[in-house]
Amino acid sequence: MNMLTAKPTKAPRNAGVAAALSLVVPGAGQFYLGMRQRAAAILGVVLGLGVLIQWVFADLGVGEVTWGSLTTSWLWALLALLWLWNVADAYGRARGRRSADAVGVLLALVIVYYIGWQVTDANLERLFSRFEDVKGVLNALVHPDLVARDELGAWRPSENFGDLVGKIVHKPASGLLVALGLVREGALVPALVPGKLLETIAIGLMATLFSAVLALPLSFAAAHNIMSRVPGGAVIYQVMRGVLNVVRAIDTLIWGILIVVWVGLGSFAGVLALTIHSIAALGKLYSEEIEHIDPGPVEALTATGAGLLQTIRYAVIPQIVPPFLAFTLLRWDINMRMATVVGVVAGGGIGFFVVETIRKGGYEQYAAALWLVALVIILVDYVSARWRERILVGEVLTDKRAPRPLARAARTALMAALLLAFFAASWSLSQIDLRKLFEPAPTFWQVVGDFVTIDVSPAVLQVVSRQMLITVFQALIATTLGALAAIPFSFLAARNLLGDSPVGKAAYYATRALLNFLRSIEALLYVAIFVFWVGIGPFAGMLSLAITSFALVGKLFSEAIENIDPGPLEAITAAGGTRLQSVMYAILPQIIPPFISYVIYQWDINVRVSTIVGFAGGGGVGLLLNNYFGMLQYHKAGTVVAMIVIVVTVMDFASAKIRERLV
Amino acid sequence: MLKVENLTKVYPNGTVALRDVSFQVPDGEFLAVIGLSGSGKSTLLRCINRIIEPTSGRIILDGVDLTALPPSEMRKQRRQIGMVFQQFNLVKRSSVLTNVLAGRLGYLPSYMSLANHFPAADHETALKTLARLGLEDKAHVRADSLSGGQQQRVGIARALMQDPKLILADEPVASLDPVLSHSIMKHLEACNKEDGITILCSLHFLDLVHRYATSAIGLKGGQLVFQGLPQEIDDAQFKEIFGQEAERVTIL
Ligand SMILES: Nc1ncnc2c1ncn2[C@@H]1O[C@H](COP(=O)(O)OP(=O)(O)O)[C@@H](O)[C@H]1O
Ligand SMILES: [Mg+2]
Repeated sequence: MNMLTAKPTKAPRNAGVAAALSLVVPGAGQFYLGMRQRAAAILGVVLGLGVLIQWVFADLGVGEVTWGSLTTSWLWALLALLWLWNVADAYGRARGRRSADAVGVLLALVIVYYIGWQVTDANLERLFSRFEDVKGVLNALVHPDLVARDELGAWRPSENFGDLVGKIVHKPASGLLVALGLVREGALVPALVPGKLLETIAIGLMATLFSAVLALPLSFAAAHNIMSRVPGGAVIYQVMRGVLNVVRAIDTLIWGILIVVWVGLGSFAGVLALTIHSIAALGKLYSEEIEHIDPGPVEALTATGAGLLQTIRYAVIPQIVPPFLAFTLLRWDINMRMATVVGVVAGGGIGFFVVETIRKGGYEQYAAALWLVALVIILVDYVSARWRERILVGEVLTDKRAPRPLARAARTALMAALLLAFFAASWSLSQIDLRKLFEPAPTFWQVVGDFVTIDVSPAVLQVVSRQMLITVFQALIATTLGALAAIPFSFLAARNLLGDSPVGKAAYYATRALLNFLRSIEALLYVAIFVFWVGIGPFAGMLSLAITSFALVGKLFSEAIENIDPGPLEAITAAGGTRLQSVMYAILPQIIPPFISYVIYQWDINVRVSTIVGFAGGGGVGLLLNNYFGMLQYHKAGTVVAMIVIVVTVMDFASAKIRERLV
Repeated sequence: MLKVENLTKVYPNGTVALRDVSFQVPDGEFLAVIGLSGSGKSTLLRCINRIIEPTSGRIILDGVDLTALPPSEMRKQRRQIGMVFQQFNLVKRSSVLTNVLAGRLGYLPSYMSLANHFPAADHETALKTLARLGLEDKAHVRADSLSGGQQQRVGIARALMQDPKLILADEPVASLDPVLSHSIMKHLEACNKEDGITILCSLHFLDLVHRYATSAIGLKGGQLVFQGLPQEIDDAQFKEIFGQEAERVTIL
C-alpha cells in the first residue's frame, strides 16, 4: 500500500460485520465504524424516503404497479437499491475505501424528484400540446392594451390605460378654487381619477410607513441585549420573538383573507395585510440590528456621566438609524411587490384588477397590467437599492453648525413638502379608514373563535397534509427547474465574464433586462397564463414559481460570479488555458457553494410563495385554504394555517442552518 | 488624590478579576498599570468610575468615597473622570464634532441636548480642543473616515471636554502601530504636564512605561504584585509580572 494514502487506522474493524449490520439497519454498519454523522444521515434518508413512498402511494397512488394480485409502488425497488448501496458502503468504508457517494445521493434524488414530479401533476406533454391554443395569450402579452386610435385615427391612451394609471375628468370646481377667484362658480376643471396602479403604489407606501412605525417599539422588546436589562424581560423577549416568527410565517395574502373578514374587501384590507406581515419582518430585522450595536460608545458615554436618555440619543440612535432606514427601504421594495398581488384576495389595487380582467378573458388588458407593474417595480427596486447604498455607505456628513448652502435647505424643505403631499394622497387613495378597525363585521369574533380552535380530526389532517406535501414539492421542483435554467443565463449576466466587446455588452444587458423584467412580476400574476395553458392545478403554480425562481436565482448566481476572486482566472489565462478551462478550474470551484446556498434559499422562499399560488388556481394548500374560506369552514382553515406556520418555520430554520454550514 | 482600598471584583460567573487591591495616586501623577492580558487592568480602571460595580473595597477621589454614592451622584462625579478606550469607542457614523461634544453631556440637562443642540461655548471649546490635537480640519467628517490614530485623538478630545481631574486610559495604544503609539502617548503626557490631569494608563510595553510614566503598578491574576517607580522595573520584576516565558519587547 502506498504510504501517502494509507490511513492511520486505529482498531481494525471487521468489514463483514459492518456490512451485516447495515443490511439489518441502514447506517448501523457506519455507526459501528464510528462514522456517526454518516450513519445518522443514511438512516434518516432511508426512513424518510420509506415513509414518503408509502404515503404518496397510499394517498395518491404514486408509482403504482400491479403484479398479479399484488399492487405496490415500484419505488420500493429504488429504495432497495439504496439499501444495498448502504451495505456496500459500510463494507467499503470498513476496508478503508471511499465508496461513491454520488450513487447513493443519485438514488435518493431520483426517488424524491419522481415523487415531486408526480404529486405536482407535472405534465410536459400538456405544455406542448396546448401550445397552439396559448399562442393567442402570448400574442396578447406583447400587445398590451395601453393605447388606442380615436375616431380621427390618432393614438391616445386607451380606456384600459385610464383604468390602470388614471384618467383626467372634468368636474365642477371646488369651493376653494372659486373662493380664491381662480375659476367661476360652476366651471369645469380637470381632475385626476387615479387608476389601479396608483392605488397599488399607495397601498405599498402606506403599509411600509405603518409597519415601520409600529415595528420600532416592538423591536426593542424583541432585542436580547435590551430585554436582559429589564425585569421580566427574558419572558417578554421570548414571547415577542415567537409572535414575530409566527406572524412572519403566514404570507401576506393569507393575512389578507383573514382581514377581509374584519374590515371587508378593499384597499384598506390590503394595507392591513401588508402591514401585519411587514411589522413582523421588520421587527425581526430591527431587533437583530439592535442586538448587534457596538457597546463601546454606550460605555464611553456612560463614563462621561451622560444620563440614560442622552446615552440612547448619542450612542444608540446614531448606530441604528441608518440600518433601520435601509431595512425600511428594502421592505418598501418587497411591499410594493406584495401590493401588486394582495388584491387577489383582499380587493383593491392591481391584483384585484388582474383577477377581474382574467375572468373576462381580457388578456390584452392583463398584459397591460403586467407591463406597468414591471415598470413600476423595476423603478422601485432601483431607487430602493440606490438609497440603501447611499444610506449605508454614507456621504461625508455635515453637522448642523457646519455652513449649509441655502439651496440644500430649500431642497430638503421641498422634499419634505412633497413627501407630505404624497403621504396625504396615498392615505386617501388607499382608503384608510381606521374606524373600521374598531367596528369589525358582526361575524368577526365568531370567525376568529372558529379559526383558532383548529380542526384536528384525522380526515382533515390527511387532506391538509396531502396538500402541504404538494406545496413543498411544488416549491422543490420549481426551484430545481428555475435554477437549472438560470445557470447558463447567469454566465451571460455576469459582467466580468463577458468582456467589453459589443457582443458581450449586448448579451449582458439583454440578459439582465430579461431577468429584471421576469423578477419584477410576482408568481401569483403569472399563474393566470399557466392556468390557461396547462389547466388549474399544482403544475400551473409550479411553472409560475419556476419563472420567478429562474429570475431571482439567475440574478443571485450572476452576482456570485461577478464577485469571484479574479486571481485564479488570471492564472489560468496566463498559463494559456482556454475560456472553457478557466470556467472549469477557476470559476466553478468558487461558485458552487454560493450556488447551492442560493438554491436552498430560493426553495425556502418558494415554499412560502407556493402556499398562496393556489389562490389563483395554482394548486396546493392555497387552493384548499381558499375553498375552506369560501365554504365558511373556519376550523379547517385554521388547520391549514397552523400547518403552514409549522412547515414554513421548519424550512426557514433548516435552510438557515444548512446555508450557515455551506459558507 | 485617588485612593483605592481593598478593591475586589468578582464577576457573576465567579471569576475573581481583582483581589484586595490597594494603592494611592497623588495628584499630577502619570501612573502606568501593567500586567498580562486577563490580569485585571480593564476591570480595575472601570471599577474606578464604577462602569463596573466593585464587589467590595473603596475608591476615594479627593476625599469623596465614590463607592458609597447613589447612581445620580455618581453620574456627577464621572464628569471629572475622563476615559480613553483601546477601541476608541466613537460613534462611527456621527461627526467628529458630535463625538467630541458628547463629552459635555454630563454637564447638560437631558432636554437640552436631545436635539443635538449644544451651547455655543461648548462648540468653541470643542473646536479648540480638536485644534490642540491637530484635528481642526476634521470636525465635520464622519468619525469612521479617520485613521486609527486620529480616532484615538478624538477619544482624548472627548475626555478633555469633560474638564477632568483624572483620565483613565485603558490600553489606549494597543490598537495602533508604534509610531502612532508615541504620538498618542505624547498627547496624554501633555494633558498630564500642561493641564495637571492625573492619568492612569494601562500599557503593554515596558518601554512606553519607562518613557512616559511617573509611577507604575503591576497586576498579576488580579493581585497587586508591584508598586514603585518605572525605573525600578528591571527584567526580574518584569518576569515576575508577566510570567517566566515573557520576553521583553522593545518598540522604537
Ligand atoms: N464581564 C465579565 N464577566 C466575567 N469575567 C470577566 C468579565 N470581564 C472580564 N472578565 C475576566 O476577568 C479577568 C480580568 O479581565 P480584564 O480586566 O479584562 O483583564 P485585562 O484588561 O488585564 O486584560 C479575566 O480573567 C477575564 O476573563
Ligand atoms: Mg483589557
